[in-house]
Amino acid sequence: MTTERDPSKIDLERVLVRYLAEERMTRRQLLHRISVVGATAALAPIVAACSTAGASAAPSAAASAASEAPSVPPSASAAAEATATPEPTPEPTPEAELHIWNYAEYMGENVVPSFEKKYGVKVSTDFFDTYEGMYARVTAGQTGFDITFPTSTDIPGLVTIGKILPLDLSLIPNKVNLGSEWANPGYDPGNAHSMPYMWWTTGVAYDSAKIKETPTSWKALWDERWKGHIAMLDDQREAFAAALIQLRFSANTVDDGELDQALGLLKQQHPLVRLYSVEDQQYMASGDIWIGHAWGSDIYAVQQKKPSVEFYIPEEGSVRGSDTAVILDGAKSPVAANLFINHLLDAKVSADNSNYIGYMGPNEAARQFISKDLLDTPWINPDKAIVDKLQELLDLGLDTDKYATRWTELKAGI
Amino acid sequence: MLGRRLGIGPLVLPGVVWLALFFLVPLAFIAAVSVGTHDRFGRVLFDALTLDNYRKAFAPTFIPTISRSIYYAGMTTILSITIGYPVAYWISRYGGRNKALLLILVMLPFWTSYLIRTYAWMIILRDNGVVNSILRGLGITSEPIILLNTDLAVILGMTYGFLPFAILPLFVSIDRLDQALVLAARDLYASGRSAFIHVVLPLTMPGVIAAALLTFIPAIGDYVTPDLLGGAQTTTVAKVIQTLFLSGRDWPQGAALGFILMALTIAGTFVAIRSLRAEVLN
Repeated sequence: MTTERDPSKIDLERVLVRYLAEERMTRRQLLHRISVVGATAALAPIVAACSTAGASAAPSAAASAASEAPSVPPSASAAAEATATPEPTPEPTPEAELHIWNYAEYMGENVVPSFEKKYGVKVSTDFFDTYEGMYARVTAGQTGFDITFPTSTDIPGLVTIGKILPLDLSLIPNKVNLGSEWANPGYDPGNAHSMPYMWWTTGVAYDSAKIKETPTSWKALWDERWKGHIAMLDDQREAFAAALIQLRFSANTVDDGELDQALGLLKQQHPLVRLYSVEDQQYMASGDIWIGHAWGSDIYAVQQKKPSVEFYIPEEGSVRGSDTAVILDGAKSPVAANLFINHLLDAKVSADNSNYIGYMGPNEAARQFISKDLLDTPWINPDKAIVDKLQELLDLGLDTDKYATRWTELKAGI
Repeated sequence: MLGRRLGIGPLVLPGVVWLALFFLVPLAFIAAVSVGTHDRFGRVLFDALTLDNYRKAFAPTFIPTISRSIYYAGMTTILSITIGYPVAYWISRYGGRNKALLLILVMLPFWTSYLIRTYAWMIILRDNGVVNSILRGLGITSEPIILLNTDLAVILGMTYGFLPFAILPLFVSIDRLDQALVLAARDLYASGRSAFIHVVLPLTMPGVIAAALLTFIPAIGDYVTPDLLGGAQTTTVAKVIQTLFLSGRDWPQGAALGFILMALTIAGTFVAIRSLRAEVLN
């Protein structure tokens, strides 16, 4: 906000961002790979340009921002009550800068510019390559970031070891917009340390151009006919959940006998599997994989480019999960961070965010602004009958090792 | 002697400090972590030091991944030398005044990120990729052959990546070879073939061993190539270590496995250097 940027340059950066986003190699993957092999001189400037583009494009982007807060909803009395919440009083003074640490492609393009415009805070966003990489750095010490987005199941642990700060709920009046199930979640009573951000479902994606039938069960991922074209999520808890749910066990079991049975099922599947990967968007778009274990909202994005890709939540039940926004211990801009979390909960900002990334948020007041397409997608906005069949993966503490050992054994192929 | 040492000492100091700071200190950290335990949050604890992680590393679970890593690195080394030797030989003997240019061509791939080049291999090898399109176009196959995410793809990608590391030391040793010795062998009625086997090959052996070291060591720890070009059936120990550190949240186990991998590499290097010394002394 302090420096005026040449609009033509901004456009170039935005084009680059979109380019990377639309290519199969997303920026997240690119950054991930580069972090593995070491950044090369050739790529570094492009990547640097891309990662700052979202933030520095503020002046021009804000003009076109669809959601300007404070927003005046066009109609609906419920929403008027929700979004016209008074500004935090007394007016706090946010710090000059805010550092956000997020997944790539996990925030609508107008969310940051509208916040910058409203509060005059300069926001910079960095991306973590993998969730576990982010988690490892958060538990190891200071990261230099103010806000990040852990999975809800990690919240109790992060609170226990003092890595996240309590929220200042007086700065987050938009909390009233939360749906009732999110207002006082079991993992964080009273939303004291975390604010729900987005939630998702896990299931099965398939390419209807290759699979000329309509599978409805987890068993399709065990089907010999698709040998060499099956992918599983490279996530030990998700993969075991796929097996445990078929066996009618809890996806959070720590019983060795049940886990061994699940391992047996996964071993049976192992020779058929081509890929264990978390890049579900990439593999479903590639054509190599005909049927894959995947996250619903990821596949929603794939469908925009490849309409033959379908997705279902298996009839046996499946997994759901949610991410939260938290303020990290050592945050240099706690006021701006609380205000940003409040901004995320603004009905219009939240809806705009959902429409952009294809995830449903916890925001009840936002529903009326969410696109019909998203609301009508059963695995993104499932009805209660389906939701009731979904399990959340819980933090199992040291018993997670029971999964890790078996997972290594499975991968070794013995 | 002492005076000479003192004179050179200050010049060596930055290198020693550099190594100590950025190699030995991190190594010591990893060594410490490998005898620790971890708590439920993934943090490393040192209150009960144990060698248990090393014991577990020899569990049947890890053996296939370690041996698979050795297999990939071994195949890569053999292929790199088999392909690299004739190339280096040809550049040295027949390169003429274009030698420098040819060597630059060998190094040309380094101008592009390894990552990008590996992605290019994905495009070449995938089901509807370049190779399968050509095969189908020629009517050789009707269904795509699965190439990507196989052993073949991993070995191909690693050989491609490490080939220049083999060619360069091979070139140096071949280029240094006194051609008069080959001529002498021919004068003594050695055939071209036996002159190569009895003169050229033994004299260039140090280059072969150096090439083997420079491909095998990075290949055995290579994570990127098996991750991108490999698949469910090609898990290597490097991938397992990464999983243990991240989603496993078990740094001690990952560190122990890393140390075992390093021990294997050092043992291999030691054997290679001894044979290298024997070659040079002969």
